[in-house]
Amino acid sequence: MSGESRPSDCAAAVTQLYEYLDGELTPTTEAAVRAHLAECAHCFALFDFETAYCRFLQARARAQGAPPHLKQRILDELLFDGEPSPDP
Amino acid sequence: MAQSVPPDREGFEREALVHLDAVYRMALRLSGDASDAEDLVQETMLKAWHAWHRFERGTNARAWLLTILRNTHINQYRRARREPVTRDVAELEAYTVFREIQDTDPAGTFFDRIVDDEVVRAVDALPPDFREVLVLSDVEDLPYADIARVIDAPVGTVKSRLFRARQLLQRRLYAFAVEAGYIKPRRDI
Repeated sequence: MSGESRPSDCAAAVTQLYEYLDGELTPTTEAAVRAHLAECAHCFALFDFETAYCRFLQARARAQGAPPHLKQRILDELLFDGEPSPDP
Repeated sequence: MAQSVPPDREGFEREALVHLDAVYRMALRLSGDASDAEDLVQETMLKAWHAWHRFERGTNARAWLLTILRNTHINQYRRARREPVTRDVAELEAYTVFREIQDTDPAGTFFDRIVDDEVVRAVDALPPDFREVLVLSDVEDLPYADIARVIDAPVGTVKSRLFRARQLLQRRLYAFAVEAGYIKPRRDI
């Protein structure tokens, strides 16, 4: 290794970008990507940006939950065959 | 109702009903309408309840419910509108917006100015094949192997669809942020 990152390393790292961030790579491949990030400022910055993007996406997209009446409706109508559940 | 096996309501509540938020979120993103989503969730939970004795204890109940949800949705959709429209994924251009913002906003702070509604709208506008893997990953937090099981496709398909889905969504959110004036487009390209 010359210490300089080769374009092929960058291409491989970018292809594995999300697998890396999602923790889906095998330990060996993950170590290879991590080693590349340590020596390539461009990919390091890119991965930083993509990490921020994924965090943003996950935080925003998860915000909505089921409306409270839905659980009650399911409990009442499906599980208890119309027999109302006692109030909490 | 086929109830030859004694019903296990407590178990169902404890292990399946706790995932109601997850099921609802996915239903909302699949159907795009709150009232349709509620009906879809209700039908899903009814089917899950009837099949509860077949659920393998110790496996991922959330993934199991989401599989039932997806199949229910596909069946309803086909009944109502025939085949879901799936765009040719090969036509979609996907590349990171990093090259555009690396000099002005490398940390991507412009994302924080985009409101939730806009994010949800952008997710809903994704092609269905992309939308479902993105939701299963980024909303439902399922590992790739579970997503593959839910959509009945190889893990490689999950990887490539998720990659393209995230990149496409990123590009659309960036375009929105530029339009809204949250970030200045780079002029030297």
